[in-house]
Amino acid sequence: MSRLRGPTQWLDRLGLSRPKAEDSVAWEVEHHIAELADRLVDEGWEEDAAKREAARRFGDPARYAVSMRRLERERETMERRIRGWDVVREGVMSVVRTTRRYPGFTVGVVLTLGLGIGANATMYGIVDRLLLQPPEHIANHERVKLVYYERPSFMTGEPTVGSTLTYPDFTDLEAHDGVEVAAYTWARPSTVGRGQDATQVQSALVSAEFFPLLGVQPRVGRFFGEDEDEVGGPLVAVISEEYWTRAFGADPNVLGQALEIEGSRTTIIGVAPRGFTGTNLASVDVWLPIVPTHAAQRGDFCLTSRGCWWMQMVARLHDDVSVEAAEAQATALHLAGRREMIDADRYSEEARVVLGPVIAADGPEASDEARVARWLAAVSAIVLLIACANVANLLMARSLRQRRETGVRLALGASRRRVVGQTMVEAVSLALLGGVLALVIARWGGGLLRAALLPGVYFPNEAWSVRLLAFTGGAALLAGLVAGVGPALQSRRADVSGALAGGGRGASDARSRARSSLTVLQAAMSVVLLVGAGLFVRSLAELRSLDLGLDVDDLLLARLEFVDSDIEPDEQTAQYDEALRLIDRLPGVRSTAATGVPFMWAEAEGLRVPGVDSLPRLPGGGPYRFPVSPNYFETVGLEVVRGRAVLESDVAHAEKVAVVSETMARLVWPESDALGACLLVGTDAEQCATVVGVVEDAARGGYLDEEFMAYYLPAAQMPTHAYEGAYIRTAGDPRELVEDVSTALRSFSPRVRFATVQPLRETLDPQARAWTLGAMMFSLFGLLALCLAAIGLYSVLIFDVAQRTRELGIRSALGARKAELLRSVLVRGGRLVVAGVLIGGATAWLAAPLLGDLLFQVSPRDPWTLVTVAALLLAVSAGASLIPGLRATSVDPLVALRAE
Amino acid sequence: MTNPLGVVQGTLELLVLRTLAVAEPMHGFAVLDWIRETTDDDLVVEDGALYPALRRMEKRGWLESAWGISEKGRRARYYTLTSLGVRALAEEEARWERYVAAVAKLGAQRG
Repeated sequence: MSRLRGPTQWLDRLGLSRPKAEDSVAWEVEHHIAELADRLVDEGWEEDAAKREAARRFGDPARYAVSMRRLERERETMERRIRGWDVVREGVMSVVRTTRRYPGFTVGVVLTLGLGIGANATMYGIVDRLLLQPPEHIANHERVKLVYYERPSFMTGEPTVGSTLTYPDFTDLEAHDGVEVAAYTWARPSTVGRGQDATQVQSALVSAEFFPLLGVQPRVGRFFGEDEDEVGGPLVAVISEEYWTRAFGADPNVLGQALEIEGSRTTIIGVAPRGFTGTNLASVDVWLPIVPTHAAQRGDFCLTSRGCWWMQMVARLHDDVSVEAAEAQATALHLAGRREMIDADRYSEEARVVLGPVIAADGPEASDEARVARWLAAVSAIVLLIACANVANLLMARSLRQRRETGVRLALGASRRRVVGQTMVEAVSLALLGGVLALVIARWGGGLLRAALLPGVYFPNEAWSVRLLAFTGGAALLAGLVAGVGPALQSRRADVSGALAGGGRGASDARSRARSSLTVLQAAMSVVLLVGAGLFVRSLAELRSLDLGLDVDDLLLARLEFVDSDIEPDEQTAQYDEALRLIDRLPGVRSTAATGVPFMWAEAEGLRVPGVDSLPRLPGGGPYRFPVSPNYFETVGLEVVRGRAVLESDVAHAEKVAVVSETMARLVWPESDALGACLLVGTDAEQCATVVGVVEDAARGGYLDEEFMAYYLPAAQMPTHAYEGAYIRTAGDPRELVEDVSTALRSFSPRVRFATVQPLRETLDPQARAWTLGAMMFSLFGLLALCLAAIGLYSVLIFDVAQRTRELGIRSALGARKAELLRSVLVRGGRLVVAGVLIGGATAWLAAPLLGDLLFQVSPRDPWTLVTVAALLLAVSAGASLIPGLRATSVDPLVALRAE
Repeated sequence: MTNPLGVVQGTLELLVLRTLAVAEPMHGFAVLDWIRETTDDDLVVEDGALYPALRRMEKRGWLESAWGISEKGRRARYYTLTSLGVRALAEEEARWERYVAAVAKLGAQRG
């Protein structure tokens, strides 16, 4: 029965696309009517009449057309969906198949993408906290503003912005009718308890408005009332949830319990919710009302003086108030409050109040860490790009291997779109696997990183945040698409007949060009990252090798806290003397010395030098005065350049003496010798302190001190001044003695409440943190990039060698020496890397100045760094080329020729 | 030629399934032709009514279609039965037999 025979040709398989829904309905009706007309003609109808009759018998096509078209469209949608799922399934199956056949391939790809995505996820955790999220528990945070003051600098006249201000400045702003304001201090270490049981916590002082202004609700109990923020008010405390758990085992009866902090007895009235850190990101254990606490600990000078800069302010805008209007009124109030000082020319009329976002990193006082973190986020994205390039490379290499299979599939009627889709699905599935690995890396590495590099920042301790999961998933998806698009487009170009006829070789110039340029790109990006790493490492090294005068790596700095805060100076000094006698006997201690002005403190006193009209003013301030014990210079490692040091014999009734710093000697007595000169210390001093020595310059606050003058007086000749700290010089690593010294100092006297002991270098660490962060992370990412680039190069070359087996075999058969074959591979690898180094070097040269102000005493175009990186890259690439090169030399001509 | 029976409501699908179960891919006109010829003109499906039915069945996954060139050189849409369609055929047949049996029982009552 002839009409049962199928079609003579399948239109679909001829590559003619299916008609649209509308057309397909019309086509089908047309066909039916034509067949019917044929039949009628067979039965003897006239052709024209037959056509008319056929159309009549079919009925009105419009009657069916609408529903047919709708059904047709629905069917198509469904088919597309099914086909889509098929592609996904095939893609996933292909991953499974590949994994089974070449587990190394899958492991390599997943590892590469996992590291790349993991680097991003790790950085995201940090960036999210530092740059994107406001501190926790702040209601309506857009309306909350940190208060800054912009004033012309005292020294240079340049406008400078700061957030530290005085208490009267705060009360001025309380009259503002467009904002609420609250005062607070940054958290600082404070002692809880006394003696051996004492512990250190981070405490912050806040005004009564602080908690209500931020809109935070207590976890337990309540926050401060207005009457608790007054001089003489009852001493109360709010503790953090973390501290509540740590110190009180989350005891529900914690309210009303006593907490002795810095010698003052306070009563706990509330617990703040978990994760609340105020407006900063640093952990706080205890909040205390600002006025009574400050008055109890340090007297009321700083509550009334416009010269005592010690606290911060936060404001909340009322709903209908703009930032500009609020700033204008605040500035007016500020200037009105300081009118007297302005009139006396002691304050600038140009000062103005600036309201910055509650995310400090977006404000005018962004920390260097936050700025470095921004860079690192970009860097981690580059690492991921390199990883994607690697994976693209591997996928392309594999698709070359599978070209024959692809050709067969195309010949069997698989649509090109389908082949492309399957490749994309493969890439994305691999990337999602990498994403899982990335989460593990982010969780484990992120915790490590934050503890090491950002110890001051509170990170919520949740296992997986939704944001991190979403970010990682998104990054994985994107990475999969980026890595897959190149290989997918290539598989589309697969040439059916060529692939089948050529048995899997065929023209691959375009592909190998694509893979080579990816390798060049990888090398270039590695160079950029490594240059960044080099610059930060050099900055850190410069910083660490700064000659601070003091031997920071051999010293412990110890401070005693006393039970009665108004202990007499001579008694306090006697306590220090006793403590040092004790410490001197400890094994590992070389020598000890006491000072009235320990590291990071400063004391400037009216100083006159007879014969010198006015002392030079230096950017670092000063001249600073240091009351010291006899063996001070020897202990801290300051060299006496001329004259003598402070001696045991410089007692109270002996001739008054002084030792000056080299800078002071040079600037005050440029023409003559400082030795023998007279210093009048104190505004109404009449008796000279004779300069008996000149000592080398020493830092007083850290790495970034600006030039200043210093002079040292025997503490024994200053009876009204007590020792405030002690330096302990150790024979070995000072960190090993912290425990022993602390124990000794905390128990030797009932008058000592607590003792802090810290290696001097550690007190400097926070100042180096931005560079440490930059150096460590740039290096980590740079090395990761380098490894990926090396793997990329290796895979290109090894594949290249495999492709050229035949050629290499012939050359070998024709008598080419092994060295020549090896060189041909090394040269090819070398060319790619040199191109990468040139491009990357040029990019780094152009881009590095953007890093400029984050570096320390290193030119962003430091040639040493560039040369080192170039050399490193060439060395690594030579290593990566070696194995492919050796393989090229070991090609057996016979095997090679037979292989085809 | 007696008057054709027409098609009982709801049985068109069964007819198409049975037809396509016989053999090769067929286009719509061939399906109608086959039904008419095999039933000696007893069952005549209205030409225009077939196509919505084919669409419905295809949407349910009973049929698959593809475009091809017929022996007369016309482009035509060819339908084949899917495995779902084979299963549907069995179900439709069972339903039909129940229907016939039910009608028969009604007749038996009267007798």
